[in-house]
Amino acid sequence: MSKNKKIFFQIVLMFALLGFTGILINNLIINLTRTDIGFKFNWLIKPASFSLAEHSLPYSPSDSYAWALFIGWINSLKVIISSLILATCIGTLIGFLRVGKNSFFRITTAGFITIVRQTPLLIQLMCWYFVGFLSIRNNTFLNIRNILNISNKGIEFFGLYLSSEFSALLLGLSIFSSAFIAEVIRGGIQSVPLGQWEAYRSLGISEKQGFFKIIIPQALPAFIPGLTSQYLNLAKNSTLAIAVGYSDIYAINDTIINQTGRAIECFIILLFSFLILNLLITKVMGIIDKSIMRSRI
Amino acid sequence: MNNLNSNLNTNLFKKLKRFLLSKSKYNFLNFICFVISISLTFNFLTWIFKSNWKVVTSNLNLYAFGSFPINEQWRPLFWFFILLSITLITIYGPKWNWLRKNLLFGWIGTVPLGIYLLNGGFGLDTVMTRNWGGLTLTILITSCSILFSLPIGILLALCRRSSIFLIQKLSSFYIDVMRAVPLIAVLFFGQLLIPLFLPVGIEIDRVWRAIIAFTLFVSAYIAEDIRGGLQSIPKNQIEAAKSLGLNKFQINIFILIPQALRVALPAITNQLIGLFQNTSLMSILGLMELLGVSRSILANPEFIGQYIEVYIWLASVYWLFCTTMALVSKKLEQKMTINKGF
Repeated sequence: MSKNKKIFFQIVLMFALLGFTGILINNLIINLTRTDIGFKFNWLIKPASFSLAEHSLPYSPSDSYAWALFIGWINSLKVIISSLILATCIGTLIGFLRVGKNSFFRITTAGFITIVRQTPLLIQLMCWYFVGFLSIRNNTFLNIRNILNISNKGIEFFGLYLSSEFSALLLGLSIFSSAFIAEVIRGGIQSVPLGQWEAYRSLGISEKQGFFKIIIPQALPAFIPGLTSQYLNLAKNSTLAIAVGYSDIYAINDTIINQTGRAIECFIILLFSFLILNLLITKVMGIIDKSIMRSRI
Repeated sequence: MNNLNSNLNTNLFKKLKRFLLSKSKYNFLNFICFVISISLTFNFLTWIFKSNWKVVTSNLNLYAFGSFPINEQWRPLFWFFILLSITLITIYGPKWNWLRKNLLFGWIGTVPLGIYLLNGGFGLDTVMTRNWGGLTLTILITSCSILFSLPIGILLALCRRSSIFLIQKLSSFYIDVMRAVPLIAVLFFGQLLIPLFLPVGIEIDRVWRAIIAFTLFVSAYIAEDIRGGLQSIPKNQIEAAKSLGLNKFQINIFILIPQALRVALPAITNQLIGLFQNTSLMSILGLMELLGVSRSILANPEFIGQYIEVYIWLASVYWLFCTTMALVSKKLEQKMTINKGF
């Protein structure tokens, strides 16, 4: 296409798009005035008047909607970071066992990965919550000298109390993501050329040392892109908290929409809170990637 | 005799001892794990045979068809049969040329056929969408969304590589925003916002709103996968096509897209399997698909508290379908390889 043609095409396209969005916005305005809702954000400072079962910062129903949303965001962040760490630990372990020499572990981890990957996360979460926690009989499942106490009210560990909703979400999310992380780890390890394994073996370096000092450092850069996308997926999947009744950012948005009917404003808020979360994860992973690259030189 | 027997025994004992102790510590560990896993499987199997599966067996109809009218249930059943047969043909079918060429059209044709069979009209009684449910609805949402999102995804991927500034920026903006938002939010706001953007008087059904939301979401992911496939095509392919005198449109249709699809097929399959699993999210938003039906069954006082049976049943159904999808895609991949050709 010549340059003039391109410019002409872009102008036509722009007008078409403007016309289309104009029609959409016109419809929106008509519908909003019809239902008498309008588009404003001043409801954010009004008292929320709903209570939250779980809040890390002081919160009462008389606090504003904005504060409730912030509490929800903090709750989301809490569950995302903790399940991210747990999922990485479990996933790395499973990934190592998946490529290891031990045939028993190789088979069981392969079975684990297919079962976890081929069933919906929502069913897994509900299974953890309704079967794992809520149906514990006699109210206590495990109690080891008051250090670790698992009951239908949640998990208590060294005085650190985790509610049953949070624990179910944490376990469900971590185990679901760990299967995907294990595949990333396996792919990364298998991307190291076979000659490297042969080389350290022929140098007489022990299996353990060779694996951790020679293979893993070379596989690390291959882990990073896969891990980043899995972490982003985990952050997005954490919105399924609503299924187990944990009050994360999405669940609070849902409650507010039910109370006020302000769907568009809430959608914009949710969009921005997730953009910030995604940016946070990609930035941190970028820093890790850079430090790995620097340590290699 | 006695001597021989004791000899055998000592031999066996020696063998066992050597197996457990002398060879290596890993063997012993293996043995312990093996015993534990055998006992766990045994416990699980005894539990399966002992527990009461009435919650599943007496509701099979509901799981499959939801509240579809009973004397019309042959329609979704017939659709299932067609889907099953076309799947079997794809996996195990003969290698006739005309069959292979038309298989794609067969797959595409199952979607309108399913909509016609479920919705009725043209000689069949009309069934309202609120009566659609169970596995039927799950498969319908999945297949419709796949059918719509593949072409949109291809188009978005091509637009993202376009040399025209505005098109490129717009499509990358759309893809990036869609990939940043969680699916449940897209579905929920799809249910809420789509009616707001439509002119007064026009209404879209809940099921169709769900399909639109799924399509919008999945097409962004598919676009990224296809873009990866497009990037893997060497530049000289385009130069060769240009020197043969093909124009841009022909290059895209005949050279780039088939090769990109072949490369991106595993990734796209993963997205589509994810789509099938994620239709379960619609149960949170009140649609009576497979999980929604199960939740209403669990709310029935007759079956209250039988979570574990229902969830194991559901998980196995989803697992079966996802594995079938993976198998079909593997077969497609084998058939699409260049060397075999058509």
